[in-house]
Amino acid sequence: MTQQRESLTRLIGFWVLLGIVIFFFMFPLYWIAVSSIKTRAEVINRVPSYIPYAQFEPTLDNYTSVLLGTTIQSDTGVRASADLSIFRDRLMNSVIIAGSSTILAVILGTLAAYAVSRFHIRGESDLMFFILSTRMLPPIVVLIPIFLLFSNLNLRDSYPGIILLYTTVNLPFVVWMMKGFFDEIPVEYEEAAMIDGYSRLEAIWKIVIPEAIPAMAATAVFSAIVAWNEFVFANLLNRTYAATVPPWLNSIIGVGAVEWGRLAAASVIFVIPIVIFTFLVRNYLLRGVTFGAVRR
Amino acid sequence: MADVRLINVSKRFGESKKNDAVMAVKDLDLDVTDGEFLVLLGPSGCGKTTTLRMVAGLERATSGEIFIGDRSVNDLPPGDRDIAFVFQFYALYPHLSVYDNISFPLRAQNMSKSEVDAQVQRVASRLKIEHILNRRPNRLPSGEQQRVALGRAMVRQPQVFLMDEPLTNLDASLRSEMRVELKHLQQELGTTMLYVTHDQVEAMSMSHRIAVMNLGVLQQVDTPLEIYNHPKTLFVATFIGSPPMNTVACTVVDGHYLQGIDNSFRLALDSSYTARLANVKEVVFGVRSEDVRLVNDDSAQLRGTVAVREPLGDETIYDMDMGQYRMAVKTPPRQMFRQGEQVGVAINPKRIHLFDRVTGQAV
Amino acid sequence: MADSQLAQRTRSTSSAGQIRPRFGWFTDRWIAISFLTPTMLLLLFISIFPLVWSLYLSFTDWSVIKDANTAPQWIGTANYFELLTDDRTWQRFVVTGQFVLPAVTIELLLGFGVALLLNRKFAGRGAIMTLLLIPMMLSPIVVALFWRFMMQGDGVLNYYAVNLFGIEPILWLSDRYVAPWSLVIVDVWMWTPFMMLISLAGLSAVPQYLYEAAAVDRAGTWFRFRHITLPMVMPLLLIAIIFRTMDAYKLFDQAVVLTGGGPGRFTQTASMYLYDVAFGQFNTGEGSALGYIMLIVITALANLLIRALNATKSA
Repeated sequence: MTQQRESLTRLIGFWVLLGIVIFFFMFPLYWIAVSSIKTRAEVINRVPSYIPYAQFEPTLDNYTSVLLGTTIQSDTGVRASADLSIFRDRLMNSVIIAGSSTILAVILGTLAAYAVSRFHIRGESDLMFFILSTRMLPPIVVLIPIFLLFSNLNLRDSYPGIILLYTTVNLPFVVWMMKGFFDEIPVEYEEAAMIDGYSRLEAIWKIVIPEAIPAMAATAVFSAIVAWNEFVFANLLNRTYAATVPPWLNSIIGVGAVEWGRLAAASVIFVIPIVIFTFLVRNYLLRGVTFGAVRR
Repeated sequence: MADVRLINVSKRFGESKKNDAVMAVKDLDLDVTDGEFLVLLGPSGCGKTTTLRMVAGLERATSGEIFIGDRSVNDLPPGDRDIAFVFQFYALYPHLSVYDNISFPLRAQNMSKSEVDAQVQRVASRLKIEHILNRRPNRLPSGEQQRVALGRAMVRQPQVFLMDEPLTNLDASLRSEMRVELKHLQQELGTTMLYVTHDQVEAMSMSHRIAVMNLGVLQQVDTPLEIYNHPKTLFVATFIGSPPMNTVACTVVDGHYLQGIDNSFRLALDSSYTARLANVKEVVFGVRSEDVRLVNDDSAQLRGTVAVREPLGDETIYDMDMGQYRMAVKTPPRQMFRQGEQVGVAINPKRIHLFDRVTGQAV
Repeated sequence: MADSQLAQRTRSTSSAGQIRPRFGWFTDRWIAISFLTPTMLLLLFISIFPLVWSLYLSFTDWSVIKDANTAPQWIGTANYFELLTDDRTWQRFVVTGQFVLPAVTIELLLGFGVALLLNRKFAGRGAIMTLLLIPMMLSPIVVALFWRFMMQGDGVLNYYAVNLFGIEPILWLSDRYVAPWSLVIVDVWMWTPFMMLISLAGLSAVPQYLYEAAAVDRAGTWFRFRHITLPMVMPLLLIAIIFRTMDAYKLFDQAVVLTGGGPGRFTQTASMYLYDVAFGQFNTGEGSALGYIMLIVITALANLLIRALNATKSA
């Protein structure tokens, strides 16, 4: 085969394979998205439909109901509107809680990583392994003690409690990634600044941090995803006040017939902030993944 | 053994309509004769590596034809061109032993195991690396890694060797040793060799001919001495030679007088120059540092002050402050002048070079 | 005075990588302490302390609901004994293993394969990559809910199974043999992008000139893969495997929503069992013990994997 013919078959094969892969991963996403604009009757229709207007009448009712908490005509009964306005509150809580804990985790973790990287702490590798090992814990193991701890400290159903918890959950990852990053930045930059008269703190602020921002952004994405989607502890600790979205999503299914359309709408709304955040930071993701992971 | 011919070859990177398209190589015509050691020399970005890679098949030429022997190889993949390539970073397969690295190119040709072994041993003993055949390349010092890379290239007995700055990553003493060895090797094998470097010492010492390139354009192809003594462009003149050729921008006055701009100097040339200078007004005057002498008599056409003195042992280089310009002068070691001393500078009239200031071409 | 201070400062810092005094500048000590303290405090307080408390509880007979007002009663290793001799406990670990092993393996092969596909320049590569990362970003609850929706007896998947492939509707979630695989499918769908991301990072770090040398040497695709690509990507892949194994082992959210442990108890993983014991039966002491057993298992496994990782790094 000449090079031309060979590359053509390769090219076709490549796109076919890629197409199959994309289909597998995108189909459920599309299904969710399209379900969110279907009426209640259409959603449970045995015959699946995909194209709005061509195969079914789309509706924004699900979105309005979820966001505005209005009741909807439905033949199996009317869901109380109070139930639905909860979503907005929960969404706001999720933003506050996930946002705060991510920021906190990234800041504290970065500082700690800097300290471990620059000041040769005794037992450095043990410390790092120890920090990593906290990630191995099935959260279930500490579920009860945390429950008791938070109860005794009145941290249940509060913002600070769960924010601190999520921060702690994300710290090991941040420290690990950022330490690898700092290990690769030569000390000479800070030393030059310090000889020029800057204090170490100033040197860190002016020189190290600006360098670190891409890596911090990448770690922030992963931390945010964890905090945003966390279910187990949110479900246990914050049931009535300062509650986030994931437990609410779960609670919907249990009661009577599931409102799949509304669930889809809520899910779509819920995932958008993360997608936006990731998209903004996408260029740093690949680099952020390798830092701290492979030391050649 | 084969010759290599490049006919009107060009290489463009990037889309032609966009602004960031770059012409890495422009209309290159080059003939490498069978068995020749030809060096592609130039500063980084001049297109020499791109040219080499096009011959290898690692880049496709945008236009033009490339012949290896009688075959036009434009459409042939690298593996079918019967060439060997030595990379700057050696590119040794990291998880294979040295033996496997060297024997690998032979796997494609159905040789018996004993034949493969014979070939590997032959190459290993020629390069004196028998003792490391079982080691992994990443544990070896760079000198030995380089020999392994050479061995991998040699074992195939290709028609052409292509080398991309193979000596750049070696330290100085090893480099001078390898220069001699490579030259000797090529003479022994008689294989055509196309070699890329930015180091003029390598180019001058090892090659049969040098092809000097700058900004994608071939400046001159000639033997080392020709290039040194009769550079065809200003670029070639100043690129080859250490210290670089002394140059002064001048205007031609009264047929055969040179007047430095800013009135830096005035030099009278032989009247025979009038014909040569008939069509130019703006020139660059050049003379190599060994063609100038420091004297204290009337033979000096110019006068200057000693600025810096570099005693090198076998000779001394004086950096002279001539007012509006500077000049480097090589002198025998015994001649001593003090810093700040005013000395006369005599120029050997038979060894001056003149270049058109606009085109850069020799006049 | 300024001179001697500067001289002093310069003396106390030595050049890169060599032996250097731990705190070359007197404020450094304070900085190190203040940088590390918040993190360590949080970790100790919210991670370690509950862990130790849990350990204590595992040796007691106590229920957080029933015995809320009495002190836990020490019963030594009775909880552990009871758990380890109970077939059900082992059964749960088997179920967990039956989930983790296929899931991580498929994610590895699929993720690496997709990364190989994506490891070249083509139009829209950045967009496609971002799209493929979305499954990872969704809440596990949402993912599980919707797969549950699709896997219903009369759901989308079965619609096509019957009408397109002409087979009987598959009992994705209610057949004891199929249900565990449904868990695997959902996890694969969600986490293959993670493996793909890491694989891609590793692949893009392989130097181009190695492939070029192979091209000149007429090396086949298989050779290039086996001797260049694979060895260089292996360390990163192993790290990804370690992370994914740890996470799959802990799996709770998805499983609980997708199958709830059913049908019967056939998809009840160790995590779900733990939840059941601790919060279903309110047996806090026993739950803690089970948690510790789980912890020991995963620590041993992680250790093995890390050792494998170090072995490849030094090779």
